[in-house]
Amino acid sequence: MSQIPVIAHREYTQRVRSKAFIIATALGPILMLVLLAVPILAAVFSSEEEARTIAVVDQSEVIGDYLDFPGNYEVEETRQTIDELRARVDAGELSGYLVLPPSLLSGDGAARYYSRGGGGIMATERIEDSVRDAVREARILQTGAPDAVLGILSERVDVQMIQITDEGERTDSTQILAVFGYFMGFLIYICVILYGAIVMRGVIEEKTSRISELIASSARPFDLMMGKVLGIGAMGLTQWLIWIFAGVGLTFVAGLVLGSVMDPTLIDGDAAGAAAATPQFRQFLPDIPSLFPVYFLLFFLGGYLLYSSLMAAIGSAVEQEADAQQFMWIVIMPLIIPTVLIVNVMSNPDGVLATTMSLIPLFSPIVMVVRMAATNVPWWEIWLSLVLLAGAFVFAIWISSRIYRVGILSYGKRPTFKELARWMREA
Amino acid sequence: MLKVNTVTKRFRTKLAVDAVSLSASSGRILGLLGPNGAGKTTTIRMIAYITTPDTGEITFDGKRVGPWSQRVMGYLPEERGLYRRMKVGEQLEYLGRLKGIPRTDARETAKKWLDRFDAADWWSKRIDELSKGMQQKVQFVSTVLHNPDLLIFDEPFSGLDPINAELLQSVILELKEEGKTILFASHRMEQVEQLCDDICMIANGRIVLNGTVREIKQSYGRDTVGLEFDGSSRFLDDLEDAGRIRVITRTHQATEVRLIDGTSPRQVLDAALAEVDTLFRFEVVEPPLNEIFISVAGGSNTDASETSA
Repeated sequence: MSQIPVIAHREYTQRVRSKAFIIATALGPILMLVLLAVPILAAVFSSEEEARTIAVVDQSEVIGDYLDFPGNYEVEETRQTIDELRARVDAGELSGYLVLPPSLLSGDGAARYYSRGGGGIMATERIEDSVRDAVREARILQTGAPDAVLGILSERVDVQMIQITDEGERTDSTQILAVFGYFMGFLIYICVILYGAIVMRGVIEEKTSRISELIASSARPFDLMMGKVLGIGAMGLTQWLIWIFAGVGLTFVAGLVLGSVMDPTLIDGDAAGAAAATPQFRQFLPDIPSLFPVYFLLFFLGGYLLYSSLMAAIGSAVEQEADAQQFMWIVIMPLIIPTVLIVNVMSNPDGVLATTMSLIPLFSPIVMVVRMAATNVPWWEIWLSLVLLAGAFVFAIWISSRIYRVGILSYGKRPTFKELARWMREA
Repeated sequence: MLKVNTVTKRFRTKLAVDAVSLSASSGRILGLLGPNGAGKTTTIRMIAYITTPDTGEITFDGKRVGPWSQRVMGYLPEERGLYRRMKVGEQLEYLGRLKGIPRTDARETAKKWLDRFDAADWWSKRIDELSKGMQQKVQFVSTVLHNPDLLIFDEPFSGLDPINAELLQSVILELKEEGKTILFASHRMEQVEQLCDDICMIANGRIVLNGTVREIKQSYGRDTVGLEFDGSSRFLDDLEDAGRIRVITRTHQATEVRLIDGTSPRQVLDAALAEVDTLFRFEVVEPPLNEIFISVAGGSNTDASETSA
């Protein structure tokens, strides 16, 4: 009779009732909001760059007329000497000055921007863009090209990608597909960091609290490891479900409150606008099979459990948490490899690389999800991949239970592969 | 009936257990003794199915040990340990459930046992709030909670104060009366001597002595003298220097000496009377187990394992 449910139940109830869990669950969303808010706020503030005053010394006498800086740049055409300008820069009156030599028009010289440095990449790019555009325009006009040519040059060129599928044509949205892969990679990574680390710590704790010998005389290490990973996994899911429900609930309440305060006609108008926007919006989203969310969830769970059991194996192999660092590549590398290769997978989702990687358990959660979004993956490939993933999970638990068993018995020495092999035979 | 049949266990280069055979029967306490590193714990772990022998076989009630025997076995490891942040009650319920008994039964028995150890009000205390001695008691309760037929105690008295050690001893004797098979491992010979019916001595992974306490002690004969006296004790040094005796214990007023090289008790008595002011006690006894162990293990290369059967 298996003791997995008993062990998983303890892991789950002990942890869900702990203060640490309650605090983390309460503070998690706040932390997430902060994490989300920081880049947004940063973007908002950085777009409101401080105003800059730039002096332009136009020795070409032409290009200056075509210079077109963004609104927050104040441009001052000047005939002051370089020394005077430098003094003004030193005094802080000017952010910098731009020198446009006559040779710039013929294509030999280079524009020079003098400043005391700083301003960042964005400022540098803006100035470069503005000067480049102005020089190009001036050069074209100098050749006496007709307006029609100018018009052609400034026209946008759109290329739409249409993918031919069994169901018909659909917009190819490779860029958006990548998001699923990165999102999956990110999600698994976060969960491994949050909960996998708890699994690892839990396994180490069994050894440091010296209860391992008592447990080993009552339960198979396999059951212990499986129970731990499943129990802590359920704890993680509980936390996410609480967050999701709280988020949905808050949004709903906020909607009600806003609705009671705001003019109903306004809301109607908004709703109509939203409805009108939807079809357009939908065009940007790839056509995804209706079962996609289900598969996404299955691959997420499989990946999460597999990576958690790797963390359990690491916990089994080390004496204390500090020693675990040297083994973390076992978990990090398989997450990085598919993330790096997502572009290749998307560019050829039916190729050998993509197909192979979408079947290899450690890569499949990320790669298969991208492939499913990018192309029509035959159903048997999806299920084969899922079965392999589940098999790898059980195998990883099995391996970690062997390492654990040898770990508690041997006198502080690392298990050799030979010893591991013997344990696998005998148990 | 527990039977260990020519069991060998090797750790890489070290032969931890070398062809060990022993048996323990219901209603008796078998003392497993030997110094640290002799192979006691490895033997126990194989009996508890935490590890498996390289060769040989271990059976309980005629069946090879395995997950099934873990359920009818209670094991108190030398290295004590419980989940530190878990409450006493929940912990005992959990450990009981791991042994396959329902939660309600586990709770009932756990409460009964805690009561016995004067610890009923610890139920909702966390383990790390308890003292070492209290944790010890909880650990013991976890060992007997599921009413196991086979009990293995590895150094059960270490860390207990005399009062609790006595309480534990009486509990162990009760369990013996109930017909449990009990294995008691220790390197404290006097405890083994007090408690055990049978003993099995291990040194360097091999059994050097095996039999009932009675038989073993009798086979060594009455070659030990106990003395209690007042006055000078220089006669002891003289006798020892002359190679007539070996001093086992010696305090200010009392001593225990082993007669060697055919020294008669009379010689010791004469020497004592010639020197001490008052002699309170003079007694010829069997040697303590410790002495037997030293003579056996010391000369274990000259095979001493056939002392008695």
